[in-house]
Amino acid sequence: MAKAFKPQVVTANDLIEGDSVFLARSGWVRDIAEARVARTAEEADLLLEAGVVAEAENTVVGPYLVEVGLETGAPVPLLRRERIRAEGGPTFAYAPEGIARAA
Amino acid sequence: MYRYDEFDAAFVAERTQQFRTQVKRRLAGELTEAEFKPLRLMNGVYLQLHAYMLRIAIPYGTLRPDQMRMLAHIAERWDRGYGHFTTRQNIQFNWPKLKDVPDILDALASVEMHAIQTSGNCIRNTTSDPYAGVAPEEIEDPRITAELIRQWSSLHPEFTFLGRKFKIAVTGSEHDRAAIKIHDIGIQIVRGPDGAPGYRVLVGGGLGRSPFIAKELRGFLPKADLLPYLEAALRVYNLHGRRDNKYKARIKILVHELGIEEYARQVEAEFARMDRAAVAAPAEEVARIAAYFALPELPARDTEADAAETRRMAAMEPEFAAWLEQNTAPHRVPGYRAVTVSLKPIGGAPGDATAEQMRVMADVAEHHSAGELRITHEQNVVLPHVAEGALFKVWRALRAEGLDTANKGLVTDIIACPGLDYCALATARSIPVAQDIANRFAEPRRQREIGPLSIKISGCINACGHHHVGHIGILGIDKAGVESYQITLGGDATETASLGDRTGPGFGYDEVPGVIERVVDTYIALREPGETFLAAYRRLGMAPFKEALYADH
Ligand code: SF4
Repeated sequence: MAKAFKPQVVTANDLIEGDSVFLARSGWVRDIAEARVARTAEEADLLLEAGVVAEAENTVVGPYLVEVGLETGAPVPLLRRERIRAEGGPTFAYAPEGIARAA
Repeated sequence: MYRYDEFDAAFVAERTQQFRTQVKRRLAGELTEAEFKPLRLMNGVYLQLHAYMLRIAIPYGTLRPDQMRMLAHIAERWDRGYGHFTTRQNIQFNWPKLKDVPDILDALASVEMHAIQTSGNCIRNTTSDPYAGVAPEEIEDPRITAELIRQWSSLHPEFTFLGRKFKIAVTGSEHDRAAIKIHDIGIQIVRGPDGAPGYRVLVGGGLGRSPFIAKELRGFLPKADLLPYLEAALRVYNLHGRRDNKYKARIKILVHELGIEEYARQVEAEFARMDRAAVAAPAEEVARIAAYFALPELPARDTEADAAETRRMAAMEPEFAAWLEQNTAPHRVPGYRAVTVSLKPIGGAPGDATAEQMRVMADVAEHHSAGELRITHEQNVVLPHVAEGALFKVWRALRAEGLDTANKGLVTDIIACPGLDYCALATARSIPVAQDIANRFAEPRRQREIGPLSIKISGCINACGHHHVGHIGILGIDKAGVESYQITLGGDATETASLGDRTGPGFGYDEVPGVIERVVDTYIALREPGETFLAAYRRLGMAPFKEALYADH
């Protein structure tokens, strides 16, 4: 049996800044809540294609599809790796504030 | 200390200029990512989960105060106010923007630093003993050899595009603080039959997917033969080394498959055949380099008065006494000590330092350590030349910035790679695991009671956290979307190197601190007086630990 389709968004890294970005209705955004969600395999193909075009136009690097859950309304990646990327930083208080606190 | 000559300076300037043009072309869309990636990697620029990452070379881990201050400046100006010191004795910045990298490289070049040989399939920066030139039992400063290797390997046309990365480490002491047995080539300075120093050469060590402890390639190599011999060893590897399968391309696999005898036979044959004189370093050049590494002039001290004063302060300040005991080591010059600045505050990210902390370390080094700092593969910083009489002052200065944790070599001195919080290759988190374990064992007295214990954590099979050679190793993997941690016991990165043994099935993220505690408690219950964790494990074997971990599972 074919694997059931799960909603997906397209992510990549911004060319200049390097941070995680998500394909939205118009252009790329930092906040995954604004990402366009593909609800069918066909939509996912189209979204990824748009990502590939953006890479060719040198806006982003390495676009790919990420499976998301929509239980809270906004897309939340199913994989921890992607959740961490979507958060935009480490899962702990990092420096300098984090280091100062630890010290 | 070694300073770049004009050739180095011109080379670095040229490379930086070249990269500036490449970045410009990339940003203008003239280079695709596929074209640009190998170029950025040659300049230490990776693309990680949240940002680009810049890895900066710190040859053999040695830094001057002005260089450390420049790292602080870079952290503040172009990053987020901190940097991460790694198990490769270098530093990584986690947040640079691509457009800023050329400026960062220019800033580095202004203090004779760069990011060359920190990535890609080349001979990487040679690592060494953080107590180089300091350790009383040392035969010779290993950095002279490391620098010779740097110069020989930097632009070597034959070895710029190897099958895989290639790592060399050098120690000048019997006690191995440079982990030479887990490097592609490990070099130990030893005395030959006539008492003159030469080299013992090991080959084929490495961690990652297929871990191996290095084997002896040559028991004694006269000093003058070093570079020709390395060239022969690399050439044989380069001829045979597989390029079709990156998992099989490291020299450890070749040595394993050919067998050390056959590999050694081929190296010796190549060595006998080649024009050795053309490769060997001229004696004047070796002498020139050696002069740079001469022990700095350390003013003679009234050692008795210094020691008395230090004892007096230690009696008054128990925390200073604990730090003195744990974080300082003997120096070859009477009246001096090597100080380890722990970058492992309880609950912190191992190896991270803020710009302010870097400046404080630079200042202390300038005033109290003959202007030298060393980065250790254990992700700490060493101030190699501190007068005993200045120790209290140094401790107070470090303390003001939270750099006084008295845990060198103890259970909370945890080595951890960036893991899933930063690294694009990671399968699990490692830093938060280290933080949870450190919090569990935070009580200083308990740490001292446990004694020497190294915990090393990697967030994937690439083993940047050296987990195979931790007394307790932790490897985070992904098991059907869930982080799972495999535990190994009995690893050792020193002259008595060994790979840890797997305890059994892995554990969940939240279970790890409790699991480590059960391992430690089992050791405490079964140890003989004065017996370290490693010694106890070697005597007892896995059985009691397995019992403690899995009996009720
Ligand atoms: S061990 Fe894996 S997760 Fe950790 S830094 Fe290396 S590649 Fe990244």
